Amino acid sequence: MEHDTDGTLLRTARSALVTGQGALNKGWHGLFTIPFRAWLTYLMARRWLFIAFAVGAVMLHLPVPEGLTPEGMIVLSMSVMATILFVTEPVPLPTVALLLVVGEVLLLGRASSDVARSLMSDSVLFIMGSLMIAVAVVKQKLDRRLAFLIVRFTGTRTANVCMGITLVSGVLASFVGEHTVAAMMLPVGVTLIRLTSDDPAQVRRLAAVLLFSISYGASIAGVGTPSGGARNAIMIGYWHQFFYNVDDPATWKYAVDYMRWMMFAYPLFLIQVPFVTAVLFITFKPKQKNIARAVVRLRAQLADQGSMKISDWSTIAIFVVVLILWIFASDSIGLGIVAILGAAAFLVVGLVGWEEINNGVNWGVILLYAAVISLGIQMKETGAALWIAESFLALLQPLGADHGFGLWAAVLALTTAVTNTMSNGAAVAVLGPIVLKLAVAAGEDPLVLGFLTAVGSAFAYLTVVGTPACTIVYASGYLKTTDFLRAGWKMVIISTIITLFAASMYWPLLL
Amino acid sequence: MDRPDEKRFRILVCIDGSDECYRGLRYAARLGGGVDADICLLFVRPVDQGLRSGGLEARVVRENLLEWGLELPGTKHLLKGQEILTELGLMSDDWAQQTVHVDKQGDPLGDNSIVYTSSNGKKVTLKLEVAPDIVGGILEEAEGGGYDLLIIGASERWQTSIIKTIWDPAVAQKVVARAPCSVIVARELEQGRGHLICTDGTENAIDIARKDAILASRCDCPISLITVVPESANEAEGADILLRTRQAIEEEGPEVVDSLLKTGQPVEEIVRAGAKYSVIVIGRSNKRRKWWLFETDIAYQILERAENSVMIVK
Repeated sequence: MEHDTDGTLLRTARSALVTGQGALNKGWHGLFTIPFRAWLTYLMARRWLFIAFAVGAVMLHLPVPEGLTPEGMIVLSMSVMATILFVTEPVPLPTVALLLVVGEVLLLGRASSDVARSLMSDSVLFIMGSLMIAVAVVKQKLDRRLAFLIVRFTGTRTANVCMGITLVSGVLASFVGEHTVAAMMLPVGVTLIRLTSDDPAQVRRLAAVLLFSISYGASIAGVGTPSGGARNAIMIGYWHQFFYNVDDPATWKYAVDYMRWMMFAYPLFLIQVPFVTAVLFITFKPKQKNIARAVVRLRAQLADQGSMKISDWSTIAIFVVVLILWIFASDSIGLGIVAILGAAAFLVVGLVGWEEINNGVNWGVILLYAAVISLGIQMKETGAALWIAESFLALLQPLGADHGFGLWAAVLALTTAVTNTMSNGAAVAVLGPIVLKLAVAAGEDPLVLGFLTAVGSAFAYLTVVGTPACTIVYASGYLKTTDFLRAGWKMVIISTIITLFAASMYWPLLL
Repeated sequence: MDRPDEKRFRILVCIDGSDECYRGLRYAARLGGGVDADICLLFVRPVDQGLRSGGLEARVVRENLLEWGLELPGTKHLLKGQEILTELGLMSDDWAQQTVHVDKQGDPLGDNSIVYTSSNGKKVTLKLEVAPDIVGGILEEAEGGGYDLLIIGASERWQTSIIKTIWDPAVAQKVVARAPCSVIVARELEQGRGHLICTDGTENAIDIARKDAILASRCDCPISLITVVPESANEAEGADILLRTRQAIEEEGPEVVDSLLKTGQPVEEIVRAGAKYSVIVIGRSNKRRKWWLFETDIAYQILERAENSVMIVK
């Protein structure tokens, strides 16, 4: 996918004009062909933007289908355009957020102050706070101590080291988010690869096994707790927004707190750990069954880091307090406020500077989630979500998949398809309102379908851009895009089976 | 950026760690063996997308990797290229070394290069460039660096259908279409089997043949000519084309070892005859098409269908 973050396309167009100066001097023919060539280059690179606008324009002029309000049709058109732009990325993604905000005012006729208010919620505060905590934690250099811990306990067998990495990455990712863990563990993985051999050809399979242990370990665990990823906070926000009524005790179960989420999702992560190692070994078959040389050298490198410093203890202390507050206070003050409090604590104690946080957080992501959540709320308010849900259900009915197990499988398949083409947070933000309304229309429990969507959004094993952890390990330069497909489809099948098993056998015990 | 010396012969070699790119580098070493030639090894790293890493800027990851003593992707490939040039005797350890860093918007690690200069002014540059996309990075360097020749490995995913060429062309395809200088697309590039120069007798073709003959003489590569006529009746015309091209080349000094006159479809005949040469050399048509992306001239057809390396002279 081509990006134009610093005007490369314009420069290319300009250079096409400059290099064609000679042809311009050759007469009228050049006058036509050179600017045309420059513009064609520009337009081709932006083709998906124009396609998205064209699709949106056509949809806005189509007759409104029965059962859908005109406002719902506008929201539906905006959602389709946004989805095309998310998947194809012809413009930087925060641009989509800006367009959505503008669209809500100009197309839907909402007051700009109302739109501005809808952009900020506890879910957005949580995303903002957890990203700031992520930067603060990575900056503390606890990764060396974690690496030492792993190689001390796992021994030197490659399979054990991989399972150790998967487990440690997973446990951490379930609390601090997969991007944090991938950032911390990637140097450990790459160092083990480099200490095994300097020849990339010799360690290609080993590199795949070690690096995927990090990314898949983090991915399967990201749904373990609400703080494991933005998607979880988004789904909690949707349940609260769509179903919770303080005056109706029957709806209180939709105010899902930290511990309740863990009870549903954490066992799924733990069950999948051995499967990750098995799938990776079956797929890549590394030549090195034992990496004693690398482990011994890594231990020697790490052994001289001395005892824990005050800053290390402070980091752990702040994080433990944040965790305790997430578990015991998030239902009263919100996940987002706890995350913001944790980020503020890192700044107050001086463990991280504001400039480091400012440089380390991509604020465009926060804007993006805010706009997509706002659009999701509009899908509910205008009835678009319910209309899509009912239409989807009508499609599933002939297949017998409009209720129970069939519907769960269909929702998981839909989520897996969507999450492999865009970030998992965006997938949940887009699909959440539809799936929750689908649950209502089909007479299913919105908690079950909501959890299936949140858990299914982690099955983005197939592409580099599917999950943050996959993107980060790919940046090491050791993996090919096809490696994700080779191992990913097996992981999708295993994760789907385990999740459907949990939905039918385990979750009913908790409802 | 320093203004490139226009008298020097400058070669840009795109490095991606593949065997093909190192074969291309060996060929570049042969072409750029003289003191008046400079070689730049370029690895383009796409800008890390913070949006794709869940909002945690990839620079945090990069900085963490660097603090562990792990270099950026591409460094290893460039160093392997340097080793190859040293093995071939093109570089030595006593060359002066200068490190250059340029901040790039969107990536704090920016562009990094090491320029090695010999006592007689010959330069070899290892350049790790960051760009929004790989093609953009290569073209930016090709345009700014004043190169005479660009060498790039043929992509595994070279698209042959016209729809795919327009919709999702491979990196090498985009580079060939937009590079401001001559390009060698390296496929199984073997040295010593000579250049096969295609000619149709036009002024443009003869000029291109002359240019390539001078280039081939830099590496003592034998030069052969080929022209394809539609029917046997045109053979006299074909022989005349070959003769005129041969004379034009030999006026410049290099000797033509063989002249091939073929009858039939130009693309098929050239691809078949060219298979036994190191490089098939053909010029890009001067005719500007309104629909330039639907490039269908013979040069591009040969580029798509040849099993070996092809040089498009611009």
